[in-house]
Amino acid sequence: MKPELERIEIPGEHEARARSWSVVARSFHERKATRPRAQWPKVAAVAIALAALAAAALSSPGRAVLDEVREVVGVERAQPALFSLPAPGRLLVSSDAGVWIVQQDGSKRLLGPYREASWSPFGRFVVVARQFELTAMDPEGGVRWTLARRDVRFPRWTGSETDTRVAYVDRTGIRVVGGDGLGDRLLVPKVRGPLAWRPGAGFQLAYVDRRGRVVLIDTETGRVRWRTRPDGRVLGLEWSSNGSRLVARLIGGLDDLSIYTPRGALHTGFRTPRGRVTAAATRPASNARAVAVAVNGQARLFMPDVLRDALSGPGVLSRLAWSPDGAWLLASWPSADQWVFVRADGKRIRAVSNVSEQFRSRSFPRIEGWVAG
Amino acid sequence: MRAGRDERARVRGAQRGSASDLEALFRTYWPRAFRAAYLVTHDAGAAEDIAQESFLAAIRALDRFDRRRPFGPWLHRIVVNRAIDWTRARKLRGEVELVDSVPAPETAPAGGETLAALARLSPEHRAVVVMRYLLEFTPGEIADALDLPRGTVNSRLRRGLDALGDEL
Repeated sequence: MKPELERIEIPGEHEARARSWSVVARSFHERKATRPRAQWPKVAAVAIALAALAAAALSSPGRAVLDEVREVVGVERAQPALFSLPAPGRLLVSSDAGVWIVQQDGSKRLLGPYREASWSPFGRFVVVARQFELTAMDPEGGVRWTLARRDVRFPRWTGSETDTRVAYVDRTGIRVVGGDGLGDRLLVPKVRGPLAWRPGAGFQLAYVDRRGRVVLIDTETGRVRWRTRPDGRVLGLEWSSNGSRLVARLIGGLDDLSIYTPRGALHTGFRTPRGRVTAAATRPASNARAVAVAVNGQARLFMPDVLRDALSGPGVLSRLAWSPDGAWLLASWPSADQWVFVRADGKRIRAVSNVSEQFRSRSFPRIEGWVAG
Repeated sequence: MRAGRDERARVRGAQRGSASDLEALFRTYWPRAFRAAYLVTHDAGAAEDIAQESFLAAIRALDRFDRRRPFGPWLHRIVVNRAIDWTRARKLRGEVELVDSVPAPETAPAGGETLAALARLSPEHRAVVVMRYLLEFTPGEIADALDLPRGTVNSRLRRGLDALGDEL
């Protein structure tokens, strides 16, 4: 039997082996560079110190210790305010006060009292939503058009330089409107998000139907291209920037993350046996993902180029966003009231504290997107 | 015995940061890991991901690895379990990748009959057959690796072999 099994020809074996060795060797090199054996006691000390700090609820003396710990591992002292972004681009943030745009130099503009937002392609406009209104505006706050709708959620903008669409959900279901505010129509009745446009593929929209299946629909023709079988509850959908992978974040399914090909085949899954995935983000121009996991009250962040945890600490990392150049990852850490910027190689971390206060919010502000330009 | 000593030396070297020892481990164990994943999943892309991810997981855990234990079986049990999980997930969801029609190859790939026969077994049966006859686990080791009663392993082996015998 063994010779029979060894004789089976596997397509692309040689290439697969070369690719895998390249990835394994690079990871091994990173491991050597980032975690020499001599640092183990320091790392252990950091873990213990962080756990103790959680219990101390970050009192002032506790903060002093935390800062010392950060210095030991090369983490910069948490800045009291967002003085600048570590990579080019602009952030879109929503808080109790409304939707904000943050420039690279750290300056912020409040666009208005909206609760959700997303960038248009190329960051030229923003679509914002509040309970009874969908609005398109320019980044300076000028309103381009509005639509009065009930219970608006999940505004999402896609398209080319000359032709764009906005998808959103209201009380009637999923609706689509032209980027100029014209031609608003009901696409799928009685469905409530989440939604994700497939980049670079005309107007293909992924959504979750009433039976919990992920569906890809061509919004121009109304043709369903594929749908999956239901598996748990889908909390979020995100396409890779090249449109070649769709990541579904699940709860109560076989996996915590299911990754699909553009044709709807399951490419792979990600499961955390003793925890849950709290956020995931695909690095621009790649299919590699950063994943935040909560295990036993501890948040852990895994990044594609970092072998071990890129970050760990008490609480939950609630959202992740890559800089447009893929060089930095922004992680939301509500329990510490911090944003943490982690460089893609995991070797530098910048933390910003007092995030809620900076966005005039009781609840922790939500990162809606990080766009170039 | 000699092979076991070599393997321990390579693991020790890799733990100390030797890239050449890591490469030796990769050359020795990746092909079989990839083959095992492929024979369980019947998907070359998935097998590549599974073998690669398993190897990366092994590297991550090198510092905690007990050198007295053999590296290969440890890696291979990770691979087979992941492959079973992947196959179950795919089966439950029922997706089939839409493949553009391509002309049939002029010659059948080597081992095509065996592969087709394996494909008619359930993933669980395939895994047991692959572990026993490709990876050379004993039934007791398979039971341990897959967290199954020994009798279940034996019955799956028997049924798997019967089915393969009929087909081949």
